[in-house]
Amino acid sequence: MAGGLAYFLPAAQLAIESTGQVITLPTPSPTAVLFSPTPNSPSAAPVTGAFTVLLLGSDDDSKFSADHVLTQSMILVRVVPSTKQVTMLSIPRDLYVHLSTGGSGKIDGAYSYGGPGAAMATVSQDFGVRIDDYIWVGLLGLVKLIDAIGGIDVVTSHPVIDDYYPSDIYSRDPYSYERVAVLAGPQHLDGIHAMQYVRSRHGDLQSDFGRSQRQQQVLMAIRLKAKQLSPEDLPALSAALGGELKTSIGLSKVAALLPLAASFDNPDQINQVFLLPPYTHGGGPGGSVTANWGLILPLVHQYFP
Amino acid sequence: MIARYVLGAFLAVVMLVFGTTTYVFLGTRTSHVAEIPQKPTVATPRAQAFSMSGTLYIIQNGALYSLSAGRFHQLTPEAGWTMPSLLPNGTQLVAVKRYPTFSDVYILNRFGQPTKRLTSNIAPARNTDIGANHWSFYPRVSADGKTLWMSYDQPKFGYDVVMSIWALPIGAPIRQGKLWTNAADYSGGDVQPIPVRTGMIYTKYTYGPDNKLVGQLWFTNKAYSAGRALTTPGEDCRSPAVSPSGTQIAMICTYEKQISYLMIASWNGATLGARKGIITNQLVAQPVWAPDGSGIAYLAPGAPAGPFQLWFLPKAAYAPAPTPSPSPDASPSASPTPVAPVKPVQVTTNNGFDATSPLAWG
Repeated sequence: MAGGLAYFLPAAQLAIESTGQVITLPTPSPTAVLFSPTPNSPSAAPVTGAFTVLLLGSDDDSKFSADHVLTQSMILVRVVPSTKQVTMLSIPRDLYVHLSTGGSGKIDGAYSYGGPGAAMATVSQDFGVRIDDYIWVGLLGLVKLIDAIGGIDVVTSHPVIDDYYPSDIYSRDPYSYERVAVLAGPQHLDGIHAMQYVRSRHGDLQSDFGRSQRQQQVLMAIRLKAKQLSPEDLPALSAALGGELKTSIGLSKVAALLPLAASFDNPDQINQVFLLPPYTHGGGPGGSVTANWGLILPLVHQYFP
Repeated sequence: MIARYVLGAFLAVVMLVFGTTTYVFLGTRTSHVAEIPQKPTVATPRAQAFSMSGTLYIIQNGALYSLSAGRFHQLTPEAGWTMPSLLPNGTQLVAVKRYPTFSDVYILNRFGQPTKRLTSNIAPARNTDIGANHWSFYPRVSADGKTLWMSYDQPKFGYDVVMSIWALPIGAPIRQGKLWTNAADYSGGDVQPIPVRTGMIYTKYTYGPDNKLVGQLWFTNKAYSAGRALTTPGEDCRSPAVSPSGTQIAMICTYEKQISYLMIASWNGATLGARKGIITNQLVAQPVWAPDGSGIAYLAPGAPAGPFQLWFLPKAAYAPAPTPSPSPDASPSASPTPVAPVKPVQVTTNNGFDATSPLAWG
């Protein structure tokens, strides 16, 4: 028992530190009623009802202070356990919205201004969706996670060529650039190359929209690879994710969700939604993207009732 | 009293031993997903795997390997080598050496020794703009051995960097080269040129009718002319490989999904015939025809979501079975002998080959 405890101690420590994060809602919040004041139920009962999670990914390199990062990736995920349906809605990071902390701005700034609570509240109030939990992953965390699971298999849709890709992961100068060429087709990607694939946007006509599509490809590849893992892999994973993962999902709910996640094995039951034109269009203030709420809200309510 | 101390010490030792054993045991129970692939020279093909004809050239972790008579040989160090292709004389190769900010094409002898650098893609010493470097990928040499075909990132349009197909005399500088294709903006561009008798087949990445980026095989026989599409956007195809007879093309098609099919089609020098899916249940990449026509080698994971291994599909799996000539003493009522389906052979098990690099086989 002592050996087992010692083996799983790092994973348990990370699980306790990372999960069940308290959501701080900005005050006053027009959406306070949407959230339960006690979001984390201690019960580990099987998850049966539909739930919605906001996935947040941030550049948390040395250009940013730890608590004030932008969320370069925002994906709203709705899971319906009874039908094993998953819907992933990518929110453009440059979408110009009313921020829950007050005023208007690009939606990727909500997290920077008020943490995960502000990001959740902003998405919730603007899209009219109830969000149960959030998961935040840092840039380096994603790289380490993919390496810890031995890489992922992805069909990269096209050559991603970028002459001015930010060299801010392992570089001394986080403002410098590097050249990136991720070639097209089926391949096995390590963490760094997967990051280059999902992060580059200079060579993509659809800019952030194209990047969102690539992010969803990589997310699904991670999910597929995660099915090959065993409980004994947890210490290595926890070492990879130390400090790079935060979630409001409580430990008991994580335990309840694991068997559910393993049961999703039909890719055709995963809906991918992107807010391409005419749902959005460029030319907003400060290079932002303007939403066509008249089209977006019916679409969102269709997938996130 | 002494016995109690002894018992306590004994139990402490037992606890220490069991605790350590449990810890080590759990460590050995980890899944194999994060294992580092073995070098091909360490993990030779399984003993029961058949020997493939000729010599196959393959890349793992930036090193060029040859596989002949069932044994791998490491020809270059792990130094960014990729995309080998045989010269028509069969005794030399062209391959790309990839550096962090640029890549160059070299001629190598069959033992992996670089004998000549064919491109000079590093930025001039005084130019501090990282964008002044260039990529060359997918080199091929024409049948007469005089022309180098490659994907090259010129012209550039600011942030919009796309690959285009270039042809240049072997050993000549790029200024003597000829731009052959007009790549679509913000698409990744045109890659994988395959010179054929009637022109050049290549893969063009472009936006399909549904605004998704897709690959299509194209054919052109004129410089600075895209030519015409051989496959539809919906098929989403790439990695063309022409059979030794020049009458068939193998390719990878994904139908715009995170899957890949190995397809073959007849080729008459201008158009593709009906497609036939010959591998539909693997994440297949980089098909190459055996020089003796005995089958097709390709890369695919050995385990779900794992690193790519070498596989071989015998010809019998996709070629129409020959019609047996009627035996004079055969009974007219005799039922035909059932034929077992031919399955692909997994040649390697613990490697991690570069699925972005074409294979060369001669």
